[in-house]
Amino acid sequence: MTLARVRAEGIFYLLVLPFAALTILFGLWPIILSVQVSFTASATALSPNPTWVGFANYATILSDELFLASLWRTLAYTVMAVTLNLAFALGAAMLLDGTLLKRGNMVFRLVLFLPVVTPDVAGYVVWRWLFDHSFGAVNAALDLLGLPAFGGLTTVQTATFAILIAELWHHAGFYMIIFLANLAIRDPALEEAAKMDGAGAWACFRHVILPQLRPAIVINLVYATIQFLKTFTVVVVMTKGGPAESTTFVSYLAYQYFDQARYGEATAMASVLFAIVIALSLLAYRLGERGRT
Amino acid sequence: MNRRWASLLAYLVAIPVAIAFVFPYAWMFSGAFRRTRDVLSDPLRLWPEQFDLSFLADIGRIGGVPLSSYFLNSVLFTLGATVVGTVAAALGAYALVRRPDLPGFRLIRSGFMLTVMYPYMLLVIPVYIVMHTLGLLGSALGIVLFLSLGPLQFFLFEQFFRAIPKEVIEAATIDGASEFQVLFRIVLPMAMPVTATVSLIAFLLNWAQWFPVLVISRGPETYTLPVALLSLNTELGASFQGIMALAVITTLPPAIVFLIAQKRVMQGMAQGAVKG
Repeated sequence: MTLARVRAEGIFYLLVLPFAALTILFGLWPIILSVQVSFTASATALSPNPTWVGFANYATILSDELFLASLWRTLAYTVMAVTLNLAFALGAAMLLDGTLLKRGNMVFRLVLFLPVVTPDVAGYVVWRWLFDHSFGAVNAALDLLGLPAFGGLTTVQTATFAILIAELWHHAGFYMIIFLANLAIRDPALEEAAKMDGAGAWACFRHVILPQLRPAIVINLVYATIQFLKTFTVVVVMTKGGPAESTTFVSYLAYQYFDQARYGEATAMASVLFAIVIALSLLAYRLGERGRT
Repeated sequence: MNRRWASLLAYLVAIPVAIAFVFPYAWMFSGAFRRTRDVLSDPLRLWPEQFDLSFLADIGRIGGVPLSSYFLNSVLFTLGATVVGTVAAALGAYALVRRPDLPGFRLIRSGFMLTVMYPYMLLVIPVYIVMHTLGLLGSALGIVLFLSLGPLQFFLFEQFFRAIPKEVIEAATIDGASEFQVLFRIVLPMAMPVTATVSLIAFLLNWAQWFPVLVISRGPETYTLPVALLSLNTELGASFQGIMALAVITTLPPAIVFLIAQKRVMQGMAQGAVKG
């Protein structure tokens, strides 16, 4: 290898160094540590010579009612949140893309997107108080409209719904702009041709527009699934997992176990959630790829 | 005629939705200036009865630390992480795109992708250990370095560098330019717009971070505004007015940045996501 070539290639190693160092130090190393801790006894996990226990922590959590319940809850919540967010975002994008909302179009876009760049803690703190029974505007508004009061964060039946609303407010704008970006590059000639053939608005949407939105749907599906499987901040700010554990999702349960120094079990939960995230993302990508060919 | 009705209907849907999305902001603002008992007697009212400024005393000090300290931490950590992250992502993405064939480069990219997929919240236990090992626990440097790594930043640069035609760079190399000259005279000047977009988005995302800041911190001295807001919100007997005022202060800087650069931010976020 000539000196010139070493120098030429060395430059690229130099350039990649900060990025690689950050990735290794604050990404890969903690992940490896996490996996390692999940195979050790909690009491010794953070000591220099941890006791290795094999898959014992995994066996423990898989027979832990709390974990299994929170896992199902997380999956059910993810399905609900993904469906609700993507349906809302698609509806909003369709309305804003057409000429029906010409006046104030940009204002509508800004209003729906602003919560995305609003710090989630701040947004959820406000929602927590909006749902409050004595301070809250939500029940005051329902009362004004002559509707029955909403239980908000205090009843098992309504708490999940309340955080779904707060999360929709925070996230939907992001999925909307992905749909809008995809709508902007679709082929308008196809719709004109469909209209000439006498297709109605619904048929046109279903058979002409929707197929062209496949890329955005796949991207949003992957992003939203990962997003909601990890649901955490909204729980910390609004419900602390309650009432009666009805909003204790896996991330929050793992965090609670961590807080109780049950490190082995907490990291085992992290590994399980990680495996689910990877499996579902790969599945979504596969579906997307198959649609393209 | 049909079209006008459809348009009217669209507004009838869009306006209430827009009001529902804006309402929390308006309510938060008015809550900061309304006395708590006024809010309790009329929760829906948005225009304050009087502009009560007692929140200044309520949040002047939180957890024994002055409000200015939280604000300063937010500004400094956010800017620091934005600069470090943007530079590292730009140079890293450039190297990985130009020479994906070099030994180890594919591994670095896969490692990064793995990090992106890992549930962020669950990285915290081990990050605590890492920071402890590196002696960075409770330090501003630890917080800045951890926040600086972000997927959107990297994907935006990667996408941009991939779109630069190979001929542009080859032509310069044939003219005898060194790799450094190619980077600094040709590539980076071209990358100014994408660098601006990445910095803006990184600023907005970093400002909102709270969990890593909480975990790497040893006490409220290194808390940022969102962390202060979270601890105030969990504090028993904290005044509602103070909480809303702190929420306003936390929300305002990114909201202003976004409203000034809305187009760039929305396009950038959509593009960065499409790559991921």
